[in-house]
Amino acid sequence: MKPVSAGPTTYLSSRSGKICAAVFACLAAFGLDALLFRSGLYTSILDPDSSTGQFELILRREQKAQAGGARNLVATVGNSRMAFSPKTLDRQGLSKQYELRAAGIAGSNARVWYYMLRDLDPTRRRYRAVVIALDDYDDEDRAGDPADDIAELHYVIARLRLSDVWTFAHSFDDPKLVRQALRDTILKGLVFQQDVRAFLADPLHRFEYVELCDQGYAGWTYDFLETTKNLAGLRIDWSNLEVTFPPGTDDEQRATVKSFLAHTPDLQTGRLAAYRRLWLGRIVDLYQGSDTKIILLRLPRGPIPRPDSLAVKSKGATRQLARRPNVLLADEHAFDSVEHPEFFKDGMHLNREGIDRFSVLLEKEVARLLGPPDRNVAVK
Amino acid sequence: MLFNTIHFFVFLAVVLVLFYLSPRPFRRYLLLVASYYFYGTWNYHFIPLLLTLTAIDYTAGIWLEKTRTPGRRKAVLIGSLSANLAFLGFFKYYNFLAANLALLMGKPPHSFFLSIVLPLGISFHTFQSMSYVIDVYRGQQKAVRDPIDYALFICFFPQLVAGPIVRARNFFHDLFQWQPPSADDISRGMFLLVLGLTKKVAFADQFAKVANAYFGNVAGNPGALTAWSGVCAFGLQIYFDFSGYTDMAIGMAKLLGFHFPINFRRPYLAQSITDFWRRWHISLSTWLRDYLYIPLGGNRHGEWMTYRNLMITMLLGGLWHGASWNFLIWGGYQGLLLSIERPFRGKGGEPGWNGLSAFRVVLTFGLAMIGWVFFRAADLHQSAMVISQMFSGTAGHMLLQPWHLELAFLSLIIALGEEFRDWSEKLIAAPVPVYAFSLALMLFCTEIFGAIDASIPFIYFQF
Repeated sequence: MKPVSAGPTTYLSSRSGKICAAVFACLAAFGLDALLFRSGLYTSILDPDSSTGQFELILRREQKAQAGGARNLVATVGNSRMAFSPKTLDRQGLSKQYELRAAGIAGSNARVWYYMLRDLDPTRRRYRAVVIALDDYDDEDRAGDPADDIAELHYVIARLRLSDVWTFAHSFDDPKLVRQALRDTILKGLVFQQDVRAFLADPLHRFEYVELCDQGYAGWTYDFLETTKNLAGLRIDWSNLEVTFPPGTDDEQRATVKSFLAHTPDLQTGRLAAYRRLWLGRIVDLYQGSDTKIILLRLPRGPIPRPDSLAVKSKGATRQLARRPNVLLADEHAFDSVEHPEFFKDGMHLNREGIDRFSVLLEKEVARLLGPPDRNVAVK
Repeated sequence: MLFNTIHFFVFLAVVLVLFYLSPRPFRRYLLLVASYYFYGTWNYHFIPLLLTLTAIDYTAGIWLEKTRTPGRRKAVLIGSLSANLAFLGFFKYYNFLAANLALLMGKPPHSFFLSIVLPLGISFHTFQSMSYVIDVYRGQQKAVRDPIDYALFICFFPQLVAGPIVRARNFFHDLFQWQPPSADDISRGMFLLVLGLTKKVAFADQFAKVANAYFGNVAGNPGALTAWSGVCAFGLQIYFDFSGYTDMAIGMAKLLGFHFPINFRRPYLAQSITDFWRRWHISLSTWLRDYLYIPLGGNRHGEWMTYRNLMITMLLGGLWHGASWNFLIWGGYQGLLLSIERPFRGKGGEPGWNGLSAFRVVLTFGLAMIGWVFFRAADLHQSAMVISQMFSGTAGHMLLQPWHLELAFLSLIIALGEEFRDWSEKLIAAPVPVYAFSLALMLFCTEIFGAIDASIPFIYFQF
C-alpha cells in the first residue's frame, strides 16, 4: 500500500519536478525583482541625486502640490533650460491667475516627459494646461539621435510597466539599444544595480538623506536663486562662427556657447522630427478628450539667437502637432526680449535676471493662450 | 562563446534539447559536433590542431595496447608525450624561451619572436590527453577503439577550455555506461550552473574591476592598504572566476549525464598551504601528484628528494599556467611554502577546527595573496613594486567599496556554512520550493550585482 503523500512527493522529486523547479526559480527571481522594483518599495529609497531619484523626487513633489485643492495648476515640462521663478510670479501678483508647476528635469526630452505626465496626471484632469518647452518649432537635428539616448531609460525606469516594455524598447533606433532596453525594462534590477550597491554601502545614511530631500526638496527648488553671472559683451560672427567672449568667461560658458550656438549645422535627417512626432504625439494623445490644453512653447533661443539660415530645417512635427485639437502653439517671438547676453549665465541657460523676465513673459503668454482662470476648478 | 553569455545559454539549451530528442546512438555524434562548434566559435583555425593531437594520442593508445615489447611501448609513450609537449611547448613557451635566449645573446628580447596565438584550452586538453596515454601505458586504462569516443573525451565542450581535467576512466565510464541523469543529477546540475554563473558574474567580475584598475596602474596607487585591497580583489576574483567556471562545467555535464570531479573546496578556509592545494584546482593538483610528483619518487626516497620533487612539481605547475618568470616564481613560492610547512605537519593530515584555526586560515590566506601578486602582475618589476607596497608603503586607501566587503563577508558566511553544515548539499536535497527559492535568490543576486555589460573573460581561458 502506497503512502497517501507518495504521489505529489514523487513528482516533485522526479526529473520533471526538478526541471519545473528551475522554471519556477526563474519566475521567482523575476518575482523578487518585481516585488522590489515594480511595487514602489525600492523607489521610495532611491538615491535622490541619481537620474531616477531626481525624476521620482520631482514626481512626488508635484503630486503633493496637486493635493492643495482648488487651483488653476499648469504643469510645465522641459529640460534644464525651462527655468522660471515662482517667487517672481508671486512678487508680480501674476501667479494668482495660474499656478505654474515645474515637472521638467535637466537633461530630459519628450520621452521622459510623457512618462512623467502619465503618472503625474493619471485622470488627465489635474492641470488646466501642460506647457511643453522646446528649443525650436522647426525640429532642427543636432548631433546624435534623440531616440537613442539611453539615459532616458534611467529617468523613467521606475515608471515603466510591463505593458510599456515593447513600446518603450522599440522607441530606440539602434537594435543594440532596443535589446538593452528590453532586457532592462523586464529586469529592472539591472538598471538599479549601482543604486542598490550605494544603498548597501551605507543604508542608514540613505534613509536619512531621502527623508531630508523629501522634506526640503520643494523649498530648495522653488526658492532657488540662479546665479547673476552673465555674458554681456558676447559677440558671434555667424559668417565664420567666430566668437568673441567677454573678459572673465569661464570654460563652461565657452563650451556651451560653442556647442549650443556657434556650431556648424548638423546633418538634417528629420530624426528629431520623428522623435517629437512619436513622443509629443503620445503626450497629445494622452490628453485627447481632456479639458487640459497642451501648450507648445519655444524657449529663448540663447544669448544671441542663431540665424535661421544656418540650417535647412524640416519644419515638420511640432507645427503639425500644433494643428491638433487641444494643442496651442505659443507665440514664437514671445520671449525675444530675453534673448540677450545679459540674461544668460552661459550659452544656453538663463541667469537670475533672465529667469525673472522669462517668468513674467511665460505667465502672460499662458494666460493669453488659456484665457481667464477658472475659479471653480478643483483638483480631481 | 563565454559561459556567461546569452549566446552560450542558447547554445546549451539547443544542445540539451537535441541531445535528449535524438536516438541514443547519435548522441555522442551530436556532442562531438556541438563541441567542435563551441571550439570553432573561438578560433576555428585551431580545430585541425585539436584533431591532430586527438589522432596522435588515439593511435598511441591503440599501439600501446597492441605492443607487448617494453622497449617499443616506452618508445610509443615517449613519442606521444613528446608530440603533446612539442605542441604545448611551441605554442605556449616558444616566445618565452626566445626572449630569454635573445637576452642571453645580448639582443633585444623580441629578436626571435614569432606571432603565435595560443590555442584555447591547450594546457587542459594536452594534460587530459597525456594522462590517458600514460594510463594506457600503465595498464590502468583500456585503449579506446572508437575515434569518435576518444575525440569526444578530448573536446567535450563543458570542460574543453578550462577544465576540470577529467580522467579517462571516469569519462569513458560515463560514456559507455551512460545513464539518463537522475533527479539528483538534474538538481545538482542546475544548482551548480546557477551557482557558477552567480560566482562569475556577481562576484568575480565585480572584484575584477577593482583588481584590473589596481594592476593597470600600480605606480599611481601607492600604499599598503591600496596594495592589499587590490591584491585581495584579485585573489577573490580568481577564486570566484575559476570555481564559477568549473561549477558551471560540472553542472552542465551533469545535465548531460556525465560526472566531473570536484575542482574547488573552499580554498580560502585552508589552514595551511598543503591544505590549500587540496582545495584549490584539485583536478590539476591531483594530476601533478599522479603524473609528476609520484613518478619523480614522491616522498619515498628521503627528505631531500621529497623537497626536490615538491619543488620540481610546483615549478612545473607554475609554468603550466603560463610562460613567464612570474609563473615560475609563483610555482617556486608555492613549492617553498610546502617545503617549509612539511616538517611542522603532523602525520594525521590537517588538524580539525580549534582555537588556532582562525589564525591559521588568515595566515594561509595572506600567504596565498602574496603568491597571487606574481600570478597577476604584468612582469617581475610590477610584482616587486606591489610586494614592496604591501610591506613598506604608506597607508594608502581602500580600493574595495563597502559593498565589495559585504559581498566578501557574505561569501565567507556561505563558505563557513558549507564547511560545517554542507549548506549546498542540504539545499540540493531540500523540498522543491526551498530549492527553487535558493536558485531564485542566486539569479536575483546575479541581476543586482552582476557586471552584466563588462564582458570580462574567464581568467583560466588564457591558459
